Amino acid sequence: MNNNTGFGAWITRPMLITFAILVSLPFWIDSVGLYQYLGVEIVIWMVYALGFNLLLGYTGLPSFGHGAYFGIGAYAFGLSQLHITESIWLGLICAILFAALGGAIVAAFLSHRRGIYYALLTIAFGQVFWFLSIKWHTVTGGEDGLLNIPRPDLNIGFASFSLSSNEALYYFVLALFVVVVIGLWRLVHSPYGTVIKAIKQNEMRTGFIGYNVWLYKWSVFTLSTALAGLAGGMFAMAQESAYPDVMSLHASGFIVMMVLIGGGMVSFWGPVIGAAVYFLARDLLGSATETWLLWYGLMFMAMVMFKPEGIAGAWQGFIKRGDASTDGDKKPVTR
Amino acid sequence: MDFLINLTPHLVNGIALGLLFALIALGFMLIVGVMEVINLAHGSLFALGGYFAMMIIGVEPGWFGPLGDWYVGLPAGARYSFALVLGPIAVGLVGMLLELCLRGTYGKDPLFGLLLTFGAAMVIEELIRIGWGSGEQFLQTPPAISGAFIWNGLIWSTYRFFAAGFSVAAIILVWLFLERTPYGAIIKAGAHDSEMVRALGINLSQLRLYVFAFGVALAALAGIIMAPIWGLRPHVGVDAVIPAFLIIVLGGVGSFVGAVIAGVLVGLTVGITGAYASEWSLMSMYLLLIVVITFRARGLFGKKSMLEN
Repeated sequence: MNNNTGFGAWITRPMLITFAILVSLPFWIDSVGLYQYLGVEIVIWMVYALGFNLLLGYTGLPSFGHGAYFGIGAYAFGLSQLHITESIWLGLICAILFAALGGAIVAAFLSHRRGIYYALLTIAFGQVFWFLSIKWHTVTGGEDGLLNIPRPDLNIGFASFSLSSNEALYYFVLALFVVVVIGLWRLVHSPYGTVIKAIKQNEMRTGFIGYNVWLYKWSVFTLSTALAGLAGGMFAMAQESAYPDVMSLHASGFIVMMVLIGGGMVSFWGPVIGAAVYFLARDLLGSATETWLLWYGLMFMAMVMFKPEGIAGAWQGFIKRGDASTDGDKKPVTR
Repeated sequence: MDFLINLTPHLVNGIALGLLFALIALGFMLIVGVMEVINLAHGSLFALGGYFAMMIIGVEPGWFGPLGDWYVGLPAGARYSFALVLGPIAVGLVGMLLELCLRGTYGKDPLFGLLLTFGAAMVIEELIRIGWGSGEQFLQTPPAISGAFIWNGLIWSTYRFFAAGFSVAAIILVWLFLERTPYGAIIKAGAHDSEMVRALGINLSQLRLYVFAFGVALAALAGIIMAPIWGLRPHVGVDAVIPAFLIIVLGGVGSFVGAVIAGVLVGLTVGITGAYASEWSLMSMYLLLIVVITFRARGLFGKKSMLEN
């Protein structure tokens, strides 16, 4: 299915399997002891993680302040609903635009940097936004955040649906997820995708070939923050509130963990797996023990020590056992 | 003149804070230099130092037989000094354990070391929560250095002066250790070119083990000094480690002088904004960083580093 023309270039088998599992989710999630809202949360975080992995897994740029743009999206959605007008499309477009605007400004500072300086600057900028969200009471509502954000009906021209039930909201979020997955799949298999993968392998050589590395790094960061904003907008819609918690350094660290545990460094599907694993771990471990973060942290440490390519990497190794090269270091994302 | 006198306490507080930040940053920088690991667990180990000290000072009679009873009989100052020595050693041992876990990540993308220590930070924070609870704890200081005095019509906290003086002493000792002893020479060489150091017949993995322990012990020392000012919470480390990161970037990775100057600069910025707009005091240091880094890519005293690749 690796042909780059026709149907296979747009839709692949893993994609169909993922969509099938997710579409059927509301029919069986209750019977395995979970609840409908969890599905909404997981799919929103999958969008967020996919956007983040464009930066981390494909371009090799670590951002430890990505929660900021998720938060900007959430606030933009909430503020547009509370102060302008109740409309899903307006809300989501505001979420994407403002997060991308924030991301574009930050990326302009970041894109000359590499390695440790890049990572530390993303932390610094992330903290600036987090501080703003807590201290700018008149706009963001301080530590409490924005409450009672309406969840408007979905209006697609000829018809209008209520999203007040979690199932309806789930299918709306899932539809956006499908669009994001197909769009990103095309993007990473386009010439643009090839260049960002080259930047991951060797930034300097990519520059010597003649590509404008700065512009690629800037646009990848901006794109990734736009997707974080979309996820944040959906999250504000689902939670009917927006609060600074999602912007903290901890929350930003969790998204890195999710992507890595899933195997974002070696696989397109890593972030999707990682987001699902994180929320299942939170609910299953969380119901078994109060200190679930301890066990999740230990699990994560073991993963980095013994299987840094994550779950998807382990799966790939399992599929083609015997293939010598298994270190997930600086290798391009292949599948 | 009035203006200056009103500002002085904030300047003193700022400098004390900045010197402590510099101490944390120095430990962090040694680890970055020699091992090329961004130690995100630095803050949790900073907090752990404070908790260990609290435990060492607060030993109850009858815990360790006659030795414990003799210890409890000691004056508060002596027990505090014990804590200042034993706390960092204990945290250094924890650091050694962490370094053993880190060994698998050497030679790979520095991202993996950073992520492993992020996981470790989570684990240590949860362990603190299990061991001492989530509530705010308090570290007792001996009467000689607590309290306050009045000078020129203003109230000055004695402990702040102690903290500033202690940090200066600690920074000078670290500098002497690095510049005037053969061990310091090996560490500096290791930070410069670890392969060459190995080729000279120095056991690199042992060097890394000790440097890591030394670096986190400095964090723990700062944690103990800071505990009476900030209080002890499981997540107090975040408040310490983020400024330390900023100081490293601001001063330039690998520069001792840069870290100290940047530390004082950050401390002063936080202190002065704290005087006029306390709500925004912590934000000011991020803005300071962004301004400096926009004009000087490698910080004030930075040189080109291996970690940029």
